[in-house]
Amino acid sequence: MSDAKAVADRLGKVKRLNALLTPATELRKSLVAQAAAARATGVLYGMPVALKDNICTLEFTTTCGSKILEGYRSPFEATVVTKLKAAGALIAGKTNCDEFAMGSSTEHSAYGRVMHPLDKARVPGGSSGGSAALVAAGAVPAALGSDTGGSVRQPASFCGVVGIKPTYGRVSRYGLVAFGSSLDQIGVFGRSVHDAARVLSVISGRDPRDATCEDRDPLRLPTVPESLQGFVIGLPREYFPSDLDPAVRRACDRAVRLMKEQGAAVREVSLPHTSYAVPTYYVLAPAEASSNLARYDGVRYGPRFDGAPVDIRALYRATRGAGFGPEVRRRILVGTYVLSAGYYDAYYRRAQQTRALIVQDFRNAFDRGVDLLFTPTTPSPAFKAGEKLADPVSMYLSDIFTVTANLAGLPALSLPIGRVKGLPIGGQLIGQAFLEDELLEAAYALERVVPATEEP
Amino acid sequence: MSVSRDDVLRIARLAELDVDEEGLPVLAEQMSRILDYVAQLSTVPASESVKPYVPGPDAIRFRPDEVKPWPLAAGPDDLAPAFKGGFFLVPKLEQFDEPEAS
Repeated sequence: MSDAKAVADRLGKVKRLNALLTPATELRKSLVAQAAAARATGVLYGMPVALKDNICTLEFTTTCGSKILEGYRSPFEATVVTKLKAAGALIAGKTNCDEFAMGSSTEHSAYGRVMHPLDKARVPGGSSGGSAALVAAGAVPAALGSDTGGSVRQPASFCGVVGIKPTYGRVSRYGLVAFGSSLDQIGVFGRSVHDAARVLSVISGRDPRDATCEDRDPLRLPTVPESLQGFVIGLPREYFPSDLDPAVRRACDRAVRLMKEQGAAVREVSLPHTSYAVPTYYVLAPAEASSNLARYDGVRYGPRFDGAPVDIRALYRATRGAGFGPEVRRRILVGTYVLSAGYYDAYYRRAQQTRALIVQDFRNAFDRGVDLLFTPTTPSPAFKAGEKLADPVSMYLSDIFTVTANLAGLPALSLPIGRVKGLPIGGQLIGQAFLEDELLEAAYALERVVPATEEP
Repeated sequence: MSVSRDDVLRIARLAELDVDEEGLPVLAEQMSRILDYVAQLSTVPASESVKPYVPGPDAIRFRPDEVKPWPLAAGPDDLAPAFKGGFFLVPKLEQFDEPEAS
């Protein structure tokens, strides 16, 4: 009981970050009740885990950072929530995020932006910025986010924590509010690789309620390896462009040297269609979003912003026009455009074909004997709030190294590999489908030797 | 690719989304930039024969079609903005007009 109160106190201390959407008194009461009911034999007994606000819970509202779901309380809970509770974890409230997970800075929430825990003038990354900030601030040891184009790994990199996006189909998405259904995966933030791995192991595995969840056993935690002997790490040359931030490059170079010292064989590889990944993503994700978000219409749930509508379409338009924020509106419009008659082949079909070529790039690299790929997670450390708001394309480019793993459905992990002027830099490991154990082994080994808080 | 004010209005009607008049020029400009950016896909040396990639299991698994107890903690009467006698309340359906031609 006192532990639950201590968790609530720790979360209360980081209120300035605006990372948590659940009101403090409601959270404290719920944590005490959850602690009293928690299974003492569970592998996560007593571990507080915060959830991005697009994961449905019975205890708390699920708003997706949007006005259109203000006050919405889901009538069911996500499978990941049920699994966490069964393992004895405490659901430590809902975290602020970009509206409907659309954004790379957590500035697009109807409930205000989230501050970077080390520099309030900067963004924590996004869209799962609230979850990343809470873990980085030490308020919780782990949190869940969702990763459609990098929304777990990019904020993990900006905030200096570990973030893992598992293989598409590894974790059930039942109860995750859909954004881009061919790309979305629930991911985990942790203070360490081990914390993230423990939570991932609990939430993974088959779920008859999600047809896209593979019929596989939960992930078994790998042992911590003695070294990286036997690992072949590929460095895709397209992820180290000449204009890469020099500090990011230095941190990556140091991490590569350390992996070699640990016995890994490192070789350069090529993923030639990488430069098309962001445009591919920004056709497919808005197209899927425009379809998924059609359900928010002011009829079945959520508030209705109507006035005196003359017909049902006026009701839809008024509700959606008033309920969605600017980034979501933009993506719905772009998605509708690329799916509309006359443009479908030029945009949507072309993007689907390009996606297949990107997938093939990865297959070719892995077929040539590479076990894992190592890349920077982001082109630069955390940027300043407001810096990219007026230019959507510039914001989209901060996902340039992360979207490929979503397009190919591969597992990928970001871990801190250094700092520049106090700001964290993340390195990304990309693995083969359903080989999260290999990915985690390499991450354990790298984490052990890399001076994550030192300048490279 | 230049998106005009009228293009935005047409797409917004298809998307069932009100957009305000004063925001239209900025929205048109931003959509133009996004569509210009993604238009580079036309330069991908992709053959028309490339099969689009669809992730996930190869086959859809079905569950037995069984009648089970109501699985939800709350019903539509609790969730819907307007609900009465088992029905969602909306403006009259006979006033539904066809979408404007695209």
